[in-house]
Amino acid sequence: MIDLNATLLAQMLNFLLLVILLRAFAYKPIVKMLKEREDKIANSLKQADDDAAKAQATLKEYQDQLATARVKAQDIMDKAEKRANEEHETSIQATKTEIEQMKQNAQQEIQRERAQAVEKLKSEVIALSVAAAEKIVSKKIDADENEVLIKEFIDQLDKDKIGDLPC
Amino acid sequence: MHEIGVRETVQFAGLTFNWETLVMTWLSMAIVLFIAILATRNLKMVPTGAQNIVEALIVWLREQVNTNLGPKGEFLCPLIVTLFLFLIVANWLGLVPTMASPTNDLNTTFGLALLIVLIVHVLGLYMKGMHYIKHFFQPFPIFVVINVIEEVAKPITLAFRLFGNILAGEILIIILLKLVPIWMPIPSVIWLAFSIFIGGVQAFIFTSLSMAYLANAVKDSEE
Repeated sequence: MIDLNATLLAQMLNFLLLVILLRAFAYKPIVKMLKEREDKIANSLKQADDDAAKAQATLKEYQDQLATARVKAQDIMDKAEKRANEEHETSIQATKTEIEQMKQNAQQEIQRERAQAVEKLKSEVIALSVAAAEKIVSKKIDADENEVLIKEFIDQLDKDKIGDLPC
Repeated sequence: MHEIGVRETVQFAGLTFNWETLVMTWLSMAIVLFIAILATRNLKMVPTGAQNIVEALIVWLREQVNTNLGPKGEFLCPLIVTLFLFLIVANWLGLVPTMASPTNDLNTTFGLALLIVLIVHVLGLYMKGMHYIKHFFQPFPIFVVINVIEEVAKPITLAFRLFGNILAGEILIIILLKLVPIWMPIPSVIWLAFSIFIGGVQAFIFTSLSMAYLANAVKDSEE
């Protein structure tokens, strides 16, 4: 039952043959495939890491750009506001000047009108005075002479006053 | 049902061979190869079906080899894988009616054990040289006696453990079938289940011990 014979050698050879065959047909392909899978997984992980880093970088870039844009926009807005203020100021100034101008013009106008009115009143007063004087003296005097006479009289009056009215 | 312990022999070139053992060995080899080729015929990056099982087995055995033998023992991986696959198929083959395990013959188990021990010593001499011989004489030269006994015991224990387990399992199956009437299959079934377990465990033990012996020769002593 436990007799040893040449089967022992045959079994050794059989087993070695099986080792060689199995190594060629199963072990090597599987190990190769395992290695490939390992590499692929490592590559995929690396790729994923790289992609994530890239995405992060892009995001950072966009955020930077956004921040710059925001600062720029703020700058532009500030400038616009400043310019608007300046324009507003200028326009107010111009209006003020205009108003001042108009005021001055108006005053000049008033002055002139007053002078005209005074002149007119003077001549009317002269006429009235002449008429009155004619009636009073009932004597016809030369009109020109008369006028000179009365003008003198009037000039002697207060220059700024017509009668008692302030002018 | 053959008679227990009697083997048909054939003569070839003046040598005696146990015919049944040889046939069953070739059958086991064929099954192992068939499974391996079937599982690896169409290897895919994303494994399915049989590829998963064979892959898991190889990955597990490679891990065992790596932890026991270190990176230098990588090239012994196919040997270990083959040893385990062949033994488990051989052990289970005997559980199929009309079949016999090649491992129920001492020639097979002793052949494998001798082969392993031979590889251990050759590798030890090749990889460590004089250092390997020196370690038999440590810590004192007189220890060489104990060490030699240990080295001789290694293949013998390895061979007889497997042989005894498998042969006993098969004998008991035959005896149970003869003793218990056919309408009472429970003891046979229980023993069959236990034999399946024993077959796996013995294959694993034989492989693990082989690995341990190989580690002795391959691994650096300072590791």
